[in-house]
Amino acid sequence: MAEISEAQDSDSSKLLDSDSKAPQRPDSEPEFDPKLIRKSKPGLKRLFLTFSVLFSFLLGFPFLWKSVEIYRSPLPFREIDSLSTQLRSDTLLFPLHFHALFVGFDSDPDRLRRSILSEITKLTSQNPKCSDNYTLSVTVDLGSRCLRGPTSSPHSSSYQCGSVTAAAFVQNDDVAVDERLASVFGGKTKEYSVAVVKGGSERAVVGKYRHAWMVVGDGSDVGMAAVKVAEVLVKVFINGGREEGLIRNEFMPVGADGKIVLSFNLLNADPHDWVYDWDFEKIDDTLLTPMIEALGPVANISVESQVLYHTPKASFSYWNQKLESYVFSTKDLPFFVNSNEWHLDTSIAAGGRSKILQFAVYVPSAKECPLLLQLPNGEISKTNGFISPMWGGVIVWNPQGCLKDSEFKPSAKNIIPIQDLENMFEVFIGQFRQLFGFKSLNVYTNASGDWNLLPSERGFTEWELDVLSWQHTCFNLHSCATTLGSLSRLVQSLPRMIIKDEIGKQVKLSLEAAKLALSNASSGVYESSAASSSQARSLAEDAFFDPSIMSVSYYSFEHCFAVYSPFFLPVSMHVVLAALRELKRYKQEKAKYLAWKAKANTAT
Amino acid sequence: METFINPKSLFHLLLLPCLLLYSSIAYNSSPVEAAMHTNNWAVLVCTSRFWFNYRHMANTLSLYRTVKRLGIPDERIILMLADDMACNTRNKYPAQVFNNENHRLNLYGDNVEVDYRGYEVTVENFLRVLTGRHETAVPRSKRLLSDEGSHILLYMTGHGGDEFLKFQDSEELQSHDLADAVKQMKEKHRFKELLIMVDTCQAATLFNQLQSPGVLAIGSSMKGENSYSHHLDSDVGVSVVDRFTYYTLAFFERLNIYDNASLSSLFSSYNPSLLMSTAYYRKDLYKRRLEEVPVTNFFGSVMETIHTDAAYKALSRRNSGRFEDEMSLDQSVHHIKRRMLIKVNDGDEIHDINPEGEEGASKCPWSTFRNKFQKAENVDSLLNYGLVAMIPLLVISTWLVQ
Repeated sequence: MAEISEAQDSDSSKLLDSDSKAPQRPDSEPEFDPKLIRKSKPGLKRLFLTFSVLFSFLLGFPFLWKSVEIYRSPLPFREIDSLSTQLRSDTLLFPLHFHALFVGFDSDPDRLRRSILSEITKLTSQNPKCSDNYTLSVTVDLGSRCLRGPTSSPHSSSYQCGSVTAAAFVQNDDVAVDERLASVFGGKTKEYSVAVVKGGSERAVVGKYRHAWMVVGDGSDVGMAAVKVAEVLVKVFINGGREEGLIRNEFMPVGADGKIVLSFNLLNADPHDWVYDWDFEKIDDTLLTPMIEALGPVANISVESQVLYHTPKASFSYWNQKLESYVFSTKDLPFFVNSNEWHLDTSIAAGGRSKILQFAVYVPSAKECPLLLQLPNGEISKTNGFISPMWGGVIVWNPQGCLKDSEFKPSAKNIIPIQDLENMFEVFIGQFRQLFGFKSLNVYTNASGDWNLLPSERGFTEWELDVLSWQHTCFNLHSCATTLGSLSRLVQSLPRMIIKDEIGKQVKLSLEAAKLALSNASSGVYESSAASSSQARSLAEDAFFDPSIMSVSYYSFEHCFAVYSPFFLPVSMHVVLAALRELKRYKQEKAKYLAWKAKANTAT
Repeated sequence: METFINPKSLFHLLLLPCLLLYSSIAYNSSPVEAAMHTNNWAVLVCTSRFWFNYRHMANTLSLYRTVKRLGIPDERIILMLADDMACNTRNKYPAQVFNNENHRLNLYGDNVEVDYRGYEVTVENFLRVLTGRHETAVPRSKRLLSDEGSHILLYMTGHGGDEFLKFQDSEELQSHDLADAVKQMKEKHRFKELLIMVDTCQAATLFNQLQSPGVLAIGSSMKGENSYSHHLDSDVGVSVVDRFTYYTLAFFERLNIYDNASLSSLFSSYNPSLLMSTAYYRKDLYKRRLEEVPVTNFFGSVMETIHTDAAYKALSRRNSGRFEDEMSLDQSVHHIKRRMLIKVNDGDEIHDINPEGEEGASKCPWSTFRNKFQKAENVDSLLNYGLVAMIPLLVISTWLVQ
């Protein structure tokens, strides 16, 4: 169009020129060559039109860019980095207060304190992740007065002089002694106390609360007593009765959302022989509920149960004439669980990230009854049970029918007798403790002597709960920091992935919970630090496993380009070209006009 | 660190070397110690559909059967199949799938639990299974619930090519997507060791981009080679098994759960002349020696077990059972009340949703009109209303023109 009108313009101007000039001076035409001269000022309308189109495109470009922008909720990357560096460099410190009480000894408390401290430092292993910051105070009770060391410690214990005497330990009732000591030692601060008493029969017991006591003979050396005190403080109160300090990950069966589901299954191997049922609710209320409440800060536990039929096992057993029973050995244990027939994982209570622990009671068929477990040293197992870490535990229970088969008449439905059920559940509690890394045995054996560990009705003693709180806090905080670090790396590596608001909120809440857990841990409030750390971990996992962060569904730059370029590329090309062309034409016309003006000026 | 009477100076004195020591320990050793092997998982994926890809489904089902026979339970197997063979109208043996022309074994017989079937087998679902990023409503049986002690077997079969694998004839899985998913799995400690077996054409290119440690991968053919089917079953009318899977199964049929044949014997049992392609495996990311790893580490299920030494005798200390019964009765009543309360709350929640929907019904005629419009039960009536509304407009415009 431009060319035609231009041609017309030039034609018309040519005609005009030729018309006006032709009769007069035909040879002056070259002077008014329309390609070089024009008389009128070139108009700006065309330039204005094309440039307005160009400018409207340029003006609209930021709006287009904004509309194509990926919504990314801003994540606090710096805070995430600072949390991980904080956890890596300052090791998590749990403050512990120890108190050693010597009754009937005549020694210098400061000397004792130094020897105990040196023993403790020898025994604590270097733990790069979480360690403890402990203080020790020693009291020597001489009956009439007490010598304390250190004399000016801010954490001097509130022990009343003379409250513990050797006479209290004469009777051998550990529970009563434990209660008495609890009333003596139970102060406001969480202090771990060890009482060493001279005189009486030798005994070493760790109580249900946070104290232990040791009765030594009259002629024993105070140095040996100090060594044993250091041992119980480190090995039992700090390490929880294990050799190594840190629980390994396969003994932390808490799900990523802080929940555990305990699934109890009664398996009748062959219902043609007999069918057993159990009164689960009663035993749940008496035995399991206190334990579940005690573990509240560590994990949110729920319980369910079912009875299954036709569930044979997958391994074999052989008849042992001497024991008059069928025997399976520990070599068969890995193959015992018959996963094809035992449909255990039918829980609807567990969400996607909870952990399910299966506890199964196996009632063998008449062909294999009684079924006993033989240990490698030839002995028969007292519990007939075993665990598999992170999976659960199995107990084999032999019904009465096969022991005295003449008297037993199988009825349609038999109930497991309450005494057997209680015994079984005691084994289950032992297995549950094993799954958390503790021993089910009530004795801590050591080279220098055994310590008797008093059991608690709640399944875990106070000091064991403390150990669990610290270990789980440590683990949860490290897991939270790693997860948040992975999330921030992932988000930063995909700059065009949509990050929803929810994720930002969860990350912020997780960081707040982690800070709270750290501050609680350093001030010694173990339960709430465990609870906040588990919350921090579950929020971090929720943010990381949000279903919208799928790399398949984010808009890559190539996608954006491929969607918008088929329209914008040709259009913008034409617009820019048109603008440039108009500019060039305007410049040419302007030059022609200026040339004419110059000529006119020189002519006049 | 102990606190003496002069804590500060000693603390500061010890702080610097300790920090150096700790930081060096933290940087040198991994933050998590090597976990114990606790369980085995299997993810078996058949990426083809349609009748002529019978052999891919037979491959996957044969491996499923093998893995179950050697001990991995259904709850730890994720099976993704298009599942359109057994009840296909072209199947002469309805509800039966064979992997051999002697028809000795019906792979679809009993106890086959397919987790993702039909159109659910997509690249997105596959990557969601691997990375664990599901919607909250996805049930546990469809999730890969592995942890840091799990060994995972990932088997994929179908049609593939150079650095890609075709899914259901409509999408493809690229090798960098797979490598990215494995990297994210490793970051979240979702596996201890991973064995990838791929039976497609040019299979070895699919794991070219893997970089995460602890991954062992084997493919049925190298770049530029095809993988071939083993034999044609003239009765069923299609090829029923691929060569690579056929020889893998032949190796496993000789084993039971007690055997400890090693992975190197499995990998060296593939004969290139019989396979008509080179089975290539990649072990640079895998630290252990293949001669020491039994195949049951991936294909079977051997549980780690620990014997329980003693019961936790907390109850024998209780005084009398009867007293406890009374107390427990109260507790159980309380418990039942708690459980009932939970149920009642659920009912309340359901009731709350309905009134909100009906609230805005009677506010004003505009909203009723909008509601009716939104309901749009009868689209035809809406169209009629629209047409009728246009007539006065037409009249007015013609009157204006005249």
